[in-house]
Amino acid sequence: MQQQEIHNFLEKYFTANNCELMDNDKGYMTVQLTVDLDKELMNRPFYWHYLEKTGGVPNPMKLTFITNKQKAPDDIKGEVIHFGSPRLHQIFASTKNLAGYIRLYQNNQYPTQTPLIPWIGLNMKISYQCDRKRDVFHSIGLQLINGMMVEDFHDKILKLPLNSKIPDYAYTLSPLIKPKSGVNRIQSFLRTRVEQEDHTWAEEARKRWQKDLELLHHFYEDEEEESDSFKTEKSALQEQYEPKVNIEIVNGGLFYLTENAL
Amino acid sequence: MTVQINFDSSWQDEMAERIENDGPWGNWELYKLAVEIEKHTIIPDFEGLQAPAHLPELTPLPHQLEVAKQVVENMNGKAILADEVGLGKTIEAGLILKEYMIRGLVKKVLILVPASLVSQWAMELNTKFHIPAIAQKKSYVWEQCDVVVSSIDTAKRAPHKDIINNLNYDLIIIDEAHKLKNNKTKNYEFVQNLKKRFCLLLTATPIQNRIEEIFNLVSLLKPGHLGSESVFYDKYKKDARSVNDDEHLRELVNKVMIRNRRSNTGIEWTKRHVETIPIHFSEEERALYDSVQSLRGSEAGLSSSQFSLMTLQREACSSREAVFYTLKNMLQRQENPSVGFQNTIAQLIKRVEAVTKNSKAEKALELIKQIDDKVIIFTEYRATQLYLQWFLKQHGITSVPFRGGFKRGKKDWMRELFQKNVQVLIATEAGGEGINLQFCSHIINFDLPWNPMRLEQRIGRIHRLGQEKDVKIYNFATKDTVEEHVLKLLYEKINLFEKVIGELDDILTKLEFGNIEDHLTDIFGKSNSEGEIRIKMENLTSMIQFAEEMKEGNQRAATGNP
Repeated sequence: MQQQEIHNFLEKYFTANNCELMDNDKGYMTVQLTVDLDKELMNRPFYWHYLEKTGGVPNPMKLTFITNKQKAPDDIKGEVIHFGSPRLHQIFASTKNLAGYIRLYQNNQYPTQTPLIPWIGLNMKISYQCDRKRDVFHSIGLQLINGMMVEDFHDKILKLPLNSKIPDYAYTLSPLIKPKSGVNRIQSFLRTRVEQEDHTWAEEARKRWQKDLELLHHFYEDEEEESDSFKTEKSALQEQYEPKVNIEIVNGGLFYLTENAL
Repeated sequence: MTVQINFDSSWQDEMAERIENDGPWGNWELYKLAVEIEKHTIIPDFEGLQAPAHLPELTPLPHQLEVAKQVVENMNGKAILADEVGLGKTIEAGLILKEYMIRGLVKKVLILVPASLVSQWAMELNTKFHIPAIAQKKSYVWEQCDVVVSSIDTAKRAPHKDIINNLNYDLIIIDEAHKLKNNKTKNYEFVQNLKKRFCLLLTATPIQNRIEEIFNLVSLLKPGHLGSESVFYDKYKKDARSVNDDEHLRELVNKVMIRNRRSNTGIEWTKRHVETIPIHFSEEERALYDSVQSLRGSEAGLSSSQFSLMTLQREACSSREAVFYTLKNMLQRQENPSVGFQNTIAQLIKRVEAVTKNSKAEKALELIKQIDDKVIIFTEYRATQLYLQWFLKQHGITSVPFRGGFKRGKKDWMRELFQKNVQVLIATEAGGEGINLQFCSHIINFDLPWNPMRLEQRIGRIHRLGQEKDVKIYNFATKDTVEEHVLKLLYEKINLFEKVIGELDDILTKLEFGNIEDHLTDIFGKSNSEGEIRIKMENLTSMIQFAEEMKEGNQRAATGNP
């Protein structure tokens, strides 16, 4: 993400959270936080607790972010945001936190009463982890009537008009598959797929692990009993090298779509 | 082969709950943003760095990228970066830091650098890497700011030390880490007690292959990894003096240390032109030098200290002021100086007073006028530094002093003055480290250090990445003095200046007879005649040359070329 993209991202994040952008110019922006977002980002629970107890007038903070020091005016004071900055990580986390679960309806002008079919959609990150890491993004949708699975689900629904309220002349069909077992089906589908993959990476990690262990043993071979530091070092190596795959759900939800939507 | 697969189940439990309660449901815009972020923060390959893609204005050199990659992929963020001077270790460290920040693995960072480099580090991290590093000024900074740059001398003092010791750092970067190779020092103890996850030690002086240095530096990176200190020493001190003798140790060193040399970076370096400028003493200067020389072996009480005599002799080659200052100190240090001692000093002081001009300074003046550009003069002595500043001013040449003891702000200021306003910077040895002056391309070595690595550090101030012109180095050597001998040995017979620094390290480690400086002091201090000095110097030279040949032989054998 380059500095301009970061700027655009912040713009979208704060607008989507109903915050007023009081200043938004080249290289910087000033945002008036809402009460909710102040609680989300500013980490001052005592203030809010105190305020609610005393019934005072809430005074959420204003924040200035500098996304490009060269372009921003010299006298602007604010937080410098870069890709990798803790504040940006916090906002990333907050975005995921605020949008973990969703329910949307395909929003067309329906001439007659139209049935909308329920889907469960999951965006997931598969992390292959040893002393190195690799991630793969997966988006899978499962139709909750007939169990059909669709890949790249997210990209596909991006093309559809979606709304959080059920449109006029539309009604939803009840799922035959429970959302929870939908998730389970997707999970076992992914599990099988990952199991069938080529795991040379894991073998190699185990080899590197073994080599490091041997080296460690060498330095301790003269000590008679296993010392604490030897154990600590050994478990540090396990932590570092042991290959595993973690599947994490980024976000997901229920989508009610027309029959031929996908 | 089976791999453990973990499926995060917390999401579906909460989803069920939200269906039950009919919400709350997220906002579609944010939902899309979250996916976008995920796609941005994904690490698509086991190998490769994320940081460069996020730093469009920075063009790291291939060897710098390689180092960063190695450290992140193979060294688990615990490494000694030991590139030769001027290859851009700051950039490498910055890349690694950025990489870890992007991966969300590092938040709290402490960067310990020489005082003169604090501002420069903070500035480079900010402008080149968009990392909001703060130069530590107030004590609350430690806790409030995530990326703090400070000098180790500040950090280890109260009240800072206690605050820092209570913090958990994700990454610690230490520049000029060769100062930590002795584990008996306060600095070592301080660094050892820091709570850290990743750690980078930067040094231009490589580990000299001594067992205890290895043990100490590795213990900073991976405490406990080498077993207990006593067992380790029992095992290694006896049989192997050199790390290279032990396969395990060598393997270990390769796991924690990366060293690039100029010669294999593939970068076009500007040339070094070295010129020796012979200086002829005036009669009075010669008389001063000779009278110090003649004290050797006499019973005046001075000879008891070989070191002082050697210092005086070297100082006599630099300036009368330097000699005077040392004499005065010697007198003061004695509680009840004997009459003989007092007389000797008084006589020497008379000789000092008789000196009316400084032949070297005059030559320097001539040279500076002729160069008509920025010049750095290095001297080993404070007194000479002061004198030169005064002398140049008398002749209408502007100069600023620079030395290790200056506070950070003053160092920055001096550097800035030198860059913008004045022609000459006069630095003492301690000023040689930790300042980058690539806008200047002329160095005068007013007197020569006897330790070749220090000389390399001096030159490294200007002959580094970013230097656009060829670098000119002028060595002053006074005829018929120790200085001439040393120059002949170090800088002509073994062609030190033409060498790239890495070769020199190799040679010096191959020698394994310790510090060249000690050898020189020994030769000059203990020899009874010129003839003996010459023979011993020739011995030293041939040992160095022998080591050199061995190295070349090895290289040829390694590459398979005849």
